[in-house]
Amino acid sequence: MQVEELELSQFRNIDRLALNCPESLHLFVGPNAQGKTNILESLYVLALGKSHRTRKDKELIRWGADAAQIKARVSGEFGNHRLDIRLTPRGKKVVKNGLEQRRLSSYIGTLTAVLFAPEDLTIVKGSPQVRRRFIDMELGQVSPSYIHDLTRYNQLLLQRNQLLKDMGNRRERINAFLDVLDEQMIDLSTSLWKKRVTFIKQLTQWAQDIHTSITQAKETLTIDYQSAVPTQGVTDEAGYRMAIEKELLRLREQELRRGTTLTGPHRDDLRLFANDVDIHTFGSQGQQRTAALSLKLAEIELIHQETGTYPILLLDDVLSELDDSRKTHLLEAIRGKVQTFVTATGLEGIDQETCDRARIYRVQQGSITEQG
Amino acid sequence: MYIPDPISKLIDGFMRLPGIGPKTAQRLSFYVLSMEEEDVMELAKALVRAKRDLQRCEECSNITDQKRCRVCGDKGRDRSVICVVQDPRDVIAMERTKEYHGLYHVLHGAISPMEGIGPDELSIPDLLKRLEDETVQELILATNPNIEGEATAMYLQRLIKPFGIKVTRIAHGLPVGGDLEYADEVTLTKAMEGRREL
Ligand SMILES: Nc1ncnc2c1ncn2[C@@H]1O[C@H](COP(=O)(O)OP(=O)(O)OP(=O)(O)O)[C@@H](O)[C@H]1O
Ligand SMILES: [Mg+2]
Ligand SMILES: [Zn+2]
Repeated sequence: MQVEELELSQFRNIDRLALNCPESLHLFVGPNAQGKTNILESLYVLALGKSHRTRKDKELIRWGADAAQIKARVSGEFGNHRLDIRLTPRGKKVVKNGLEQRRLSSYIGTLTAVLFAPEDLTIVKGSPQVRRRFIDMELGQVSPSYIHDLTRYNQLLLQRNQLLKDMGNRRERINAFLDVLDEQMIDLSTSLWKKRVTFIKQLTQWAQDIHTSITQAKETLTIDYQSAVPTQGVTDEAGYRMAIEKELLRLREQELRRGTTLTGPHRDDLRLFANDVDIHTFGSQGQQRTAALSLKLAEIELIHQETGTYPILLLDDVLSELDDSRKTHLLEAIRGKVQTFVTATGLEGIDQETCDRARIYRVQQGSITEQG
Repeated sequence: MYIPDPISKLIDGFMRLPGIGPKTAQRLSFYVLSMEEEDVMELAKALVRAKRDLQRCEECSNITDQKRCRVCGDKGRDRSVICVVQDPRDVIAMERTKEYHGLYHVLHGAISPMEGIGPDELSIPDLLKRLEDETVQELILATNPNIEGEATAMYLQRLIKPFGIKVTRIAHGLPVGGDLEYADEVTLTKAMEGRREL
């Protein structure tokens, strides 16, 4: 998959920008706060419909402007598409090939993207929430029906939590309705659990190979999907259904007292191990970096496997941070098959060969000029 | 800027309508000023009459200007089937198909704790009363396919079980005339799930 043309207007600090980019490697260089990340962010939003930096689409609109727009022509194994996202303070409009898409799930996946930024270390180091978001964003790119189920699940949680709060005060009548919400909850949770476990299994296969090779076989990476529902011995959907049904029953009194949903996929987590040692808790900075990088590279392969085409890769400020062996690995892994957009504050720390292959742009106050 | 009170009241009034922002409200208000007095009177009367003269049908809860709505009063309709919908607009949509000849029941919403709508805020008790009549054989649940609509349908299904009446749920799937290849994956998946034998 490749972005052929990109057009931005009133996006972040960018007034207007037009980029013709049929090549495979693009390097954006400039001092801090000039708009390098903003450009990568626009590509991320183009692919996933939302930003990696903020939940508020409004922040993406240039201060003082009414609306922002990201337009692109993309090409891939399955033909060309025109994508167009318009952001206004009242909401966003996603348009594919001239047709407005009512559901984000029918838009996402047209262009896939993998972003690697310094803060990705938090996938390993951070809270469970960061890891769930990682799963949601990545799985969503290869499975529209996952997005659909997840959207419904989140809406259900809001309703269920409200009902639990209301019931604390006046029980009797609503109990029957809580049973209904539990039935919905069991269905959706089972579907989400199944999709996530399968996804993590596939991702692990790729990540393990990559990790072994980066560490020159000194370490073995394992990833464990940890369900908030007790799932010891559970191997299939029927088993999970029974487990969550039981858990909801067990927790009902407590949930009523606390007025919130205490179990379900919104409380699941991932654990990563290097040679059986929990990297989140005991890993060194270097081990955590390697694990994060392995996950990201695995994602590239998994998207290829699932969709038949490679994603675009967005590398924000990471090339200069990786040590030589990891950098070599990264560049080898993507070489020739993945269109890549890179940002850096300077060209120091980026090897000559990469510079020679890349189109290089200077970024200054939201404008770009190509270097001859 | 100074806007005479009657106009700003009118603007505020328009702005309470859905989908109308300040600019549109202002445009409509000034347009009203330019209209013939007679037409303005007609409009004002229509507004008041729509509110004052419309009531809920004592049988199906649809909005009507009589005690019983046209459908309920129609001797030709099949009284053994009731189609349960969320909104009076759903009845209009169903009637447009000219394919359905049974009766309706309008819930006026879906159960939604977040909006403070419980079973008692909807016309569910009236529905149960209708089921005591033995002529009713089938209930078609045609609530929306979102979480709230589905939950409402499931709730009704449980509630109605003791009556021993056949309960069906309308299928959600492919828009007719839409090409299969343009349907998104979610719609296709749901359509596959809802397939039936021919
Ligand atoms: N909605 C907006 N409207 C206008 N300017 C904005 C908006 N949002 C962010 N900015 C500006 O964009 C700039 C940040 O751009 P960006 O994050 O792309 O920097 P960068 O070039 O990646 O810098 P660094 O090297 O520090 O990462 C800041 O100057 C910020 O004030
Ligand atoms: Mg930056
Ligand atoms: Zn009626």
